[in-house]
Amino acid sequence: MTLDQLLADTKPALSQIYAEDLPELTQAKDWQSKYRILMQLGRKLPPIPEKMKQPSLLVKGCESRAWLMHYYNQHQDQHFFVLDSEARIVKGLMAIMLSLVNGMSNTELKKFELAQAFDKLNLKPYLSQSRGSGLNAMMARIKDCCH
Amino acid sequence: MHSFDPVNFRGQFAFFQHNPGWVYLDNAATMHKPNVVVDAMAMFYQRHNSNVHRGAHTLSQHATRAFEQARDDIAAFINASAREQIIFCSGATAALNQIAFGLMHTVLKAGDRVLITALEHHANIVPWQIHCSKYGVILDIVPLTADYKVDQQAFTELLALKPKVVSFSHISNVLGHIQPVTQMVSQAKAAGALTVIDGAQGIVHDKVDVQSLDPDFYVWSGHKLYGPTGIGVLYGKTAALELLTPLFGGGEMISEVNFSHSLFNILPFRLEAGTPDIAGAIGLAAACNWLQSINNEQMKSYKSMLLKQFFAGLNKIDGLDILSSPVHNAGIVALNVQGEHPADVAELLNQQTVAVRGGQHCAMPFFSLLGLAGAVRFSFAPYNTEADVATSLHALTQAVEILTA
Ligand SMILES: Cc1ncc(COP(=O)(O)O)c(C=O)c1O
Repeated sequence: MTLDQLLADTKPALSQIYAEDLPELTQAKDWQSKYRILMQLGRKLPPIPEKMKQPSLLVKGCESRAWLMHYYNQHQDQHFFVLDSEARIVKGLMAIMLSLVNGMSNTELKKFELAQAFDKLNLKPYLSQSRGSGLNAMMARIKDCCH
Repeated sequence: MHSFDPVNFRGQFAFFQHNPGWVYLDNAATMHKPNVVVDAMAMFYQRHNSNVHRGAHTLSQHATRAFEQARDDIAAFINASAREQIIFCSGATAALNQIAFGLMHTVLKAGDRVLITALEHHANIVPWQIHCSKYGVILDIVPLTADYKVDQQAFTELLALKPKVVSFSHISNVLGHIQPVTQMVSQAKAAGALTVIDGAQGIVHDKVDVQSLDPDFYVWSGHKLYGPTGIGVLYGKTAALELLTPLFGGGEMISEVNFSHSLFNILPFRLEAGTPDIAGAIGLAAACNWLQSINNEQMKSYKSMLLKQFFAGLNKIDGLDILSSPVHNAGIVALNVQGEHPADVAELLNQQTVAVRGGQHCAMPFFSLLGLAGAVRFSFAPYNTEADVATSLHALTQAVEILTA
């Protein structure tokens, strides 16, 4: 497995999440259905193989461990990411976040506000404080990739 | 002394009236405060607030009297033989840092050994690491047995290396296991070591009598004993406290200062630099006095009844790895849903308004030893109810269903 392959596998998974799972999630009626969707959605992102999980990819500030890989396409000014988390709910939430930012230009990514975006999707109430901070740590790490 | 009545007991906590939907099983992290504690602190601020040991004015004398009365009450609570053996600090963490720092040079020199166990909270690991590495002191760790108890055989063997200090928890914050502290203290003493007990979880469970247990130091945090945050106690035998170099310098702790040197004040003030947490001390003393008035044996057997029900319920849920043992347990159950991350389980419980902690509980070395990402911890208190047990078991069943669907 290479980063290229992971990026290639992540991209369609994210499009599907954005197009299909997100609407389903915002319409789900009870918390059980919401969390079932969240966990399935995490499963759609290809996992980063153990061998590739270098300590430098570890995102600190999460209660569970999470990893982030980044690729910047200079010609098209687009940021692409691959991420993984050992906790499934966190991974589901991170997948949603990634589906919103993957492929953004440098300027777009810099301007992106996670809290606002989640608010718009009516997802904020489902994030507890500690989970929020794990997501925020991942978001901060994604933003660090900007120049 | 009043007999323990669970309904009346719970009724004394305004928190539960304000949060009727919640099942609070995170008592090992912090406990709720009975109204007597909140009232005592409010009363101090509203009627008696002044700094202590300072002003010549009468208000300051009143405040000083209330603060020093708190020291007396807490000394009585643990049966300390003298009031100056109670040092107020911000909590167990501060106390352990003071002890680790304070014993360097006076007791511990390069090449000496300190012994702790593999079951300690970071507060009883990191201060030793910081100071031991700086002063060339060797830190030894007692390993655990297969059922996660401190290996007493290994403890005896490591004592043969003649550590100068032995420091261990009364009750494990991860698993709830009650350590054989009486025996460990007497063995450590026989080996010639100073003994430090981290009582952060122990003080709320057992009635502690420091003269019969006889450690050199016993420390705890007020907020885990129905008291406020920000206050804690470093108890030490007078001779042991005299060995401590103060970690903090400042006002109150000196008897004479000039620019070339200062003379330290006597105990307890020598180890209490700066304005203390006056209201906190008063609140903690109120908690201790209130607890003294309730039958502890009845309280303990009520808690162990809840624990028994909880364990019985767990046995009916498939796919759990239970780390805690039901015997010699102070009311804490650490477990995992097989193959699932504890953070996921804790979040699904949170969605069902069951407050537990999922993670490593400030005991990373313990979990690395086990090769686990952590555990979900349910910790019980006497204000919990049989309904809390039933609700949390139901919520856990739901969580398992969602995770394994
Ligand atoms: C066994 C043990 N020791 C020490 C501490 C540290 O207590 P505090 O954070 O109140 O200083 C805790 C708190 O979690 C504990 O459980």
